[in-house]
Amino acid sequence: MKRADFPFLGFGVGLRRPHYSHIVERRPKVDWFEVVSENFMVAGGRAIEVLEDVRAHYPIVLHGVSMSLGSTDPLNRDYLKKLRDLAKRFDPAWISDHLCWTGVGGRNLHDLLPLPYTEEALSHVVTRIRRVQDTLERPMLIENVSSYLAFADSTMTEWEFIAEIAEQADCGILLDINNIFVSAFNHRFDPNEYLDAIPVERVVQYHLAGHSDHGTHLLDTHDHPVRDEVWALYERAIRRFGAVSALVEWDDNIPEFAVLMETADRARQIYDAAARTPTEQSLDANSTERTGKPALPADHRA
Amino acid sequence: MPTPLKELESLLYRLITAPSGVGEGLASERNLPRTGLGAIVLGDERLSAEERADIYANMYFYRLLDALKEDFPATRKVLGDDAFHNLVTGYLIEYPPTQPSVAECGRFLSRYLRDHPQSVDAPYLADIAALERATVEVFQGPDADALSAEAMRAIPADQWPALKLRLHPCVQVLDVEWRVADLLRAVEEGRDWQPAARGAAKIVVSRRSGRVRYRELEQSEYRAIDAARTGATFANICDLVAEHSGALDPVAELNRLLARWLSDAIFIV
Ligand SMILES: [Fe+2]
Repeated sequence: MKRADFPFLGFGVGLRRPHYSHIVERRPKVDWFEVVSENFMVAGGRAIEVLEDVRAHYPIVLHGVSMSLGSTDPLNRDYLKKLRDLAKRFDPAWISDHLCWTGVGGRNLHDLLPLPYTEEALSHVVTRIRRVQDTLERPMLIENVSSYLAFADSTMTEWEFIAEIAEQADCGILLDINNIFVSAFNHRFDPNEYLDAIPVERVVQYHLAGHSDHGTHLLDTHDHPVRDEVWALYERAIRRFGAVSALVEWDDNIPEFAVLMETADRARQIYDAAARTPTEQSLDANSTERTGKPALPADHRA
Repeated sequence: MPTPLKELESLLYRLITAPSGVGEGLASERNLPRTGLGAIVLGDERLSAEERADIYANMYFYRLLDALKEDFPATRKVLGDDAFHNLVTGYLIEYPPTQPSVAECGRFLSRYLRDHPQSVDAPYLADIAALERATVEVFQGPDADALSAEAMRAIPADQWPALKLRLHPCVQVLDVEWRVADLLRAVEEGRDWQPAARGAAKIVVSRRSGRVRYRELEQSEYRAIDAARTGATFANICDLVAEHSGALDPVAELNRLLARWLSDAIFIV
């Protein structure tokens, strides 16, 4: 799997219920939408009707929260079948889920829990991603999560863990820039070191979101504007990874659609500016190309 | 030796879902190393291992509380915020989520309320929760083209008697002991609500143009819908309406009911 296997979608936003009518009636100028897979694993009704309409006018990506790749429970076959059916029906540009576990013992925590970064967890997750990709008959993306605890047993860093999993499972990476920032604060690591360790060709998508500051820790709440420090980290990511589709996530205190569009536009402007001004980093050995510019498609707004 | 992954996940699951918090959950863990949770989860001067696990415990509870608040506004209104919070605490112990979609977490709330002490003061709670849950299920129930007036007119008259009306696949008919439909409507419309009166009723929940609607069924209507469910013909349904409505003009009565069924998208052909 390499990034070129996937289209560059540009700058999108998450499809959320409060905006359904606005999107269907106004057809806002947005490059693409990301939809939460589980919200559409229903028999019918308004959600399906809206998704059909949205899909007829925009590219979409299916983003799941319940695959539970890190769980020691068996993979949920019924869930994977529903996901495959959803993908057949709506033809997403790709499918993603999180590098985490969401439950055990047949129970679901409805949360994204971190794994210990151990050889055991690594080979467990690699095996499961390979099985999922076989079932879905396509490569998937795994996303780094925000975390609030780390395990004493870990023998590697989070960035070593995700990079190694992506290589061994031959899957893509959805890099959540805000999650890197949040976890860097919570576990006191350097977010730049994280970015620099991620294999360039594996990164297919970014997430941009807001978090909340609780003093002792940052929480990944998706209820605030993207913070300046996260924008700065995003800019640094662009210089390293080049043309990667970006997506704005907002799940709580959801603002008017215009605010999401402004945020997606800001992501585009930062990208355009970075593409015009090559820096030292874009010339270093890890960069996509050595021409001094990130690899940009001819018309990334198509 | 690292803790096996399965053990680690099971331990965290127990701590995160412990009803009185991670601290109490830890107290009942017998197999933890002498150094406690700190041997497994890293703590620092900002947050201890226990406090870090507690962040997840809080998120677990409040995420589900929020989801249930959204799906059960009338149940919550009747109980008040504090009692609803306590209800959810108990409910999650008895019915912890097992499904990939968080929308499924309220599936058993009505069943849980049947024998709950809160139902002594407000015995209609289980019925109101059942109605609220039904609206959630119907909202995302299967799609099908509802029977329309035009489609009905297009059917030749001689085919009517043998015609079988089929129930729309998302329609639900609830059997309740309390008149809860008015209560839910009052809450949805932001009006003052009255406790539901005792009285057996059938409530039909259906969906038209993506919107869920519900109302009590008249006796003759219920008979007709129930018969349609088991394959009755239009002629059978006419007989039932004539027999149970007590109307002087059964044809006019049937026309009145048909108009309601069309507008509520009860049937398909
Ligand atoms: Fe994300």
